[in-house]
Amino acid sequence: MNGSQDSLDGTLKQASTGDDFGRAWLRFWFSPASSRPLAVVRMLTGLLGLLLAGSYAADLEVWFGPDGMLPADAVTAWGSRSTWSIFALAHTPTLLWTLFTGLLLALAAVMFGLASQMACVIAALLWASLLQRGPMLAGPADDCLAVLLWSLAVGPCGACWSIDQVLADRRGLPRLADSPWAAVSLRLLRIHATAITVAVLLSQLKGDVWWDGTAAWWLTNRPSQLLNLTDLFRRSEYLMNLATHATVAFEATFAVGIWFAASRRSLARAGLLAWPLIGLLAGEPFWGAAMAIFCVPDAVASRL
Amino acid sequence: MAAAHRSPPEHPPPTRAVSETVQAAVSVLIGVYLLGLLLSILGNTVSGSSALVRTIKGRLFSPWMAPAWLDLGFDHPLTYGRPEDSDHLIEVRTKAAEADGGAGETLQFPGFRTKERAARWRRLARTIALSAVEDAAAPLAAGVGAGQFNASGSEDLTVRVLRRPIEDRTSAPRPPRLEQVYAARVRSVAGELQLVELGGEAKRSELAPLVTAETSPQ
Repeated sequence: MNGSQDSLDGTLKQASTGDDFGRAWLRFWFSPASSRPLAVVRMLTGLLGLLLAGSYAADLEVWFGPDGMLPADAVTAWGSRSTWSIFALAHTPTLLWTLFTGLLLALAAVMFGLASQMACVIAALLWASLLQRGPMLAGPADDCLAVLLWSLAVGPCGACWSIDQVLADRRGLPRLADSPWAAVSLRLLRIHATAITVAVLLSQLKGDVWWDGTAAWWLTNRPSQLLNLTDLFRRSEYLMNLATHATVAFEATFAVGIWFAASRRSLARAGLLAWPLIGLLAGEPFWGAAMAIFCVPDAVASRL
Repeated sequence: MAAAHRSPPEHPPPTRAVSETVQAAVSVLIGVYLLGLLLSILGNTVSGSSALVRTIKGRLFSPWMAPAWLDLGFDHPLTYGRPEDSDHLIEVRTKAAEADGGAGETLQFPGFRTKERAARWRRLARTIALSAVEDAAAPLAAGVGAGQFNASGSEDLTVRVLRRPIEDRTSAPRPPRLEQVYAARVRSVAGELQLVELGGEAKRSELAPLVTAETSPQ
């Protein structure tokens, strides 16, 4: 009798735990959230996308043109795991530029909020296709842009501060306030920010230079660097160590602290400054900017 | 008149509820995606992943995540302090320039380019250098060479990848120098693209696609 009672209690306890998890899951993903932070992310993502895509423009034909340096078959022969790219079909400069212009227009539509969600999907597809065409040219900021565009496509990112809103106002349509889809989109942004940070952190901790404090030297002592701290680090070893350890410490704190309500906002705000600084230190300013964009919703949500 | 320019009322806000069925369906999709994200990070990291993770990811997730550019490891260490973390550049020389030590027609990439545009060239150069270690650089080097036939006015070029070594912090400052990490001769003979990696006789005999005018059958 006692045995069956214990078994029943255990089953009920498990069911209760399952219900708790289910409720927490639904609350986390589907509690209606404001679409305003999403609108800020949309505008910044569109701008970042235009800057990154713009960096392809001047060399587009040199790389992908009919007599370009990266013929599609050479990229395949090199061993790219990439799949089909619509840019591989561009056998004439006109077609290549048409596709590229389509990408720029889609990114501009994302920035200004015209047919926002559709623009995000089209921009994400064309951006992924461009990166597939020449994966060896892609950098960490390009990866982040793809993630940002896909995450925005889920939520009502054009519900405010957009051409979509102006058009809806003219037609007298009611404004959308909070939306569960905005919550899905915002949670995806936070999860990706954490996943990217953890992946970066884990790969850094495999290198000796991140433990002995010399990583900052190897990062900044390159002619291509925007931020030249070579002389400073040559004079002060401690400063070099501090820059290295502070980078790792921030990443670790961010990855964990962003999940606690008490520290979320302050860490996200710190991220608006810290990620661009890390990006500058690493010689990847656009990557730093992209990571800062991930922080925007948690940093500004209470002010919108 | 003023009423005609008023914004539409914000209250009561129309909060769109999501039905339980949609919540369940979206929850499944989110769960599947998050699993894919986890496996992508585990399966794409340099530290290596198990055959099981690679197989599951490759069969179930990569087919739909890779085309969307979401099959990513995100493992950017920024630096390991290794030579391959330094700046790389591509140099293309005509045969004439090669003969007079580079005084003739020589093109450099990124050259005058700056910022992200230059960074993409450096990534291409670095990829060729890293691929050379696995003997996989030939297709890219051949493409780079062939892509410069028109610009250089020659169909016989030498493609080099050069690296600027990072000096140790404790050593005295020195002017920047370049070291060669890859070189190949690329040319077109009767419309056929040929490449020989300039890395010693053993490598030359392995590839040996270059046919000179003297030895080619008439």
